[in-house]
Amino acid sequence: MNAALARAAGWWTILCIALEERLVYRGDFALGTLMRFLPIVTQIFLWWAIFDTIGHGTRDSANIVGYSFSNMVAYYLLTMVSRAFSSMPGLASGIALQIRSGEIKKYLIQPIGMLEFLLLSRLAHKLAYYSVAVLPFLLVFSICRGYFVDGWPAWDLLAGYVAALLMSFLLGFFLEASIGLIGFWFLEVSSLLFIYMLFNFFLSGHMFPLDMLPAPWDRLVSMLPLKYLAYYPAAIFLGKVPREELIGELWIEAGWVVFFIVTARVAYRLGVRRYSGYGG
Amino acid sequence: MATIEIEKLSKSYWVYQKQEGLRASLRGLFRREYREVRAVREVDLTVEQGEFVAFLGPNGAGKTTTLKLLSGVISPSSGTARVMGHVPWQRENAYRRRFALVMGQKNQLWWDLPAQESFRLHQQIYRVDGQRFQQTLDELTRLLGVTNLLHQPVRELSLGERMKMELIAALLHSPDVLFLDEPTIGLDVVAQHAIQQFLKYYQQKRRITILLTSHYMKDVSALCKRVVIIADGRLHYDGSLSGIVDRFSGHKVVTLHLAEGQAFEQLARFGTLLEIEPPKAKLRVARRQVPSVMAALLSAYTVDDVAVEDPPLEDVIAEVFSRVDDVAVDHDVRQAVFP
Amino acid sequence: MAQRRPSYLRVFLTFARNSLVRDTMFRTNFLLQCISSAGWTLMNVGFYLIVFQHTPLIGPESGWGKYEFFVFLATTWLINSLVQTFFMTNADDYSELIRTGNLDFVLLKPIDTQFLVSFQKMDWSSLSTFTAGVILLVVALWQLTTRPVHPLSISPWMVGLYLFYLCCGVAIFYSLMISLASTSIWLGRNQTLYDFWFYITNFARYPMEIYNRGWGVPLWGFFTFVVPVLVVVNVPARLLAQPLHPQRSLSWQLACFALLATIVSLLASRWVFQRALLSYRSASS
Repeated sequence: MNAALARAAGWWTILCIALEERLVYRGDFALGTLMRFLPIVTQIFLWWAIFDTIGHGTRDSANIVGYSFSNMVAYYLLTMVSRAFSSMPGLASGIALQIRSGEIKKYLIQPIGMLEFLLLSRLAHKLAYYSVAVLPFLLVFSICRGYFVDGWPAWDLLAGYVAALLMSFLLGFFLEASIGLIGFWFLEVSSLLFIYMLFNFFLSGHMFPLDMLPAPWDRLVSMLPLKYLAYYPAAIFLGKVPREELIGELWIEAGWVVFFIVTARVAYRLGVRRYSGYGG
Repeated sequence: MATIEIEKLSKSYWVYQKQEGLRASLRGLFRREYREVRAVREVDLTVEQGEFVAFLGPNGAGKTTTLKLLSGVISPSSGTARVMGHVPWQRENAYRRRFALVMGQKNQLWWDLPAQESFRLHQQIYRVDGQRFQQTLDELTRLLGVTNLLHQPVRELSLGERMKMELIAALLHSPDVLFLDEPTIGLDVVAQHAIQQFLKYYQQKRRITILLTSHYMKDVSALCKRVVIIADGRLHYDGSLSGIVDRFSGHKVVTLHLAEGQAFEQLARFGTLLEIEPPKAKLRVARRQVPSVMAALLSAYTVDDVAVEDPPLEDVIAEVFSRVDDVAVDHDVRQAVFP
Repeated sequence: MAQRRPSYLRVFLTFARNSLVRDTMFRTNFLLQCISSAGWTLMNVGFYLIVFQHTPLIGPESGWGKYEFFVFLATTWLINSLVQTFFMTNADDYSELIRTGNLDFVLLKPIDTQFLVSFQKMDWSSLSTFTAGVILLVVALWQLTTRPVHPLSISPWMVGLYLFYLCCGVAIFYSLMISLASTSIWLGRNQTLYDFWFYITNFARYPMEIYNRGWGVPLWGFFTFVVPVLVVVNVPARLLAQPLHPQRSLSWQLACFALLATIVSLLASRWVFQRALLSYRSASS
């Protein structure tokens, strides 16, 4: 009981430190977040031109795989929200670096595992990030609220959306952590990571709605876990996921989360064994 | 015409005074507070061709700033300087081809490549013709004993080996003037010695003009006949190394070996007691009083042995620096201390 | 010693050679970088293939059909890869040189400082994107010149002009980049340099007509006349793909403007560089 309490206290401290650290630079932060919406501007104009073309001057009547122009813009804005949950900047490369520099040793002697520690500090970072980023996000979304033509989704979809977002955080974390842990076996993780980011960028739906993929790619990509990182929550919000499939899909996402939790833990255990075997 | 002529050279710059804390940094966005740092103040100096001059001074005294001014890397606030007839901060290529700067704490060689490749680049930039380049390179690597390291990436070299390579890079275009800023910093005794020997030999053979800053008295005493003391941006001394003691130390150290059974307690009457380690005692005595104190001592004690010496050079210099710090606030006081 | 100027060409070749030696020392990394940039280009093509499944053109009556746009895309890659190969690493290093004070050594050399700062290193692996660009360009042009309706005809004159404007585009991007990098002398740090660069050049990635609607017009004006990144890719791509064949005169005005923009950008960046250097030289200790 006491041990659990002490552990909780330790976690609380980690959380507080990360929060403070973030809040010091909040000015920089808010501006940086706002800047991150800039690439969407060019995307909007690209789609604007395309919808103008296929709608023959009346872009409101046109649609691409069920997305109207407003839907498309709303989609890009929503993927920004998904990414705010699922992206883990510096996580994999940080783990790989700690392995290479031998800093990993400190987790072997501390009473807290590396994955737990990193998860907590990431959680704290994210919380701090949201507390600052909420302002620019609100600003952009209120300017663009006209694009959300269907308003808020029904409560059950909204609940599914929140669940998908929260799971996307866990999925993003353990997926990237697993990649970082490859560093135990392979030194050049950074280039590998770049390739992963590339796939992530295109196949998570960050670049375009995954519904646009032609067969057989659509089926292939929908079987990958990457879609939960950006596309899936946005699709729920926009009502693109049929109600009857929602629960089932969320279970599959949960399955992927569990899969990567197990993968990361196993990889960590094997890696540490290999590491101490060599006497690092 | 002297090789280096400096007149009333001054350099001051403004440093942004960063405030601690979030509120203060926000305020700093709108109103910043600056502090003026006067790194070099009205320095006059003339160096003749073929001289090897050492700059001594505490950290932040203005030595490096002076070298940077003479290299033309920065421009002065006021005053003039001419090196081989050129104004350094006009950065004419004709001037830049004729000198070199080596900084012990920075490196200019490509980190991941063998030094040889960086040397080739220098050859291209300085337009040294192939045959001469090879000759110079052979000679330098032989003198410094690094011929077999030329093809090893710089990052794999030891600090000492890297410094030797930096020196070679600086000398490939046969500069007439060489500025060395702490060239032996952080090196072990062997590497230090090797670099000293090399510099000594090379300077004597080529008769080039060298300005050196260093913290190691060994460097200075091994290489330079002429020493310049800079502290707090000002020039305080310009002369021979041994002259420093005459100039700044009004004391001698008297070491006594007293015969057995003598009491040490009363020794303090004769001067400042530095240490007592029976049967030995060290006294600091004002230079002018040495004869009278000696006479008194010899009549009061039975002395087995006695020696009268100048205080160690390093102590004198440390004392000079600390005095400068004490009076740094007031210009007039300093003038009184250093007439 | 004779007062000889260094041969800038030979110094540049030595830079290129040294960089190549360095790149080959880290072979795995080099290879992985090539693979990832090849992957990036493939995915880009994939994306636009999907887009063109849903639309015949980008923008009504704009003339930017699939293969015209692929000429545009290839041009973007060519210019970006050249900028990355020659300047990206150097701009990065420049802020580092300022931070560490190693810029001192650059200032000592009897050679133009901006030249030395701009060309010191080359990132050879970025040339894989260049290769991909050439391949895509050839395929797209093949399709355009052999299509049954209105086949495109390309004269050597056009190819020459295309290459010339490619260089202009690189020069404009270079000017922007070196100016951004120079600001780190004043700002002291430059983590946002990459971001800024990415966000600004992002606007150059599409045909300029797409901004010609709604609130895009001020953006179009800003990125054409103030920070002329829109002409970088648009002018050479337009010359070759000729999406606006009937209104050629407009294209020629644009071409003249692009030339002017290049010259002004280069001069402006030179000025910014010199000014920044001046404050480096009076500020550092």
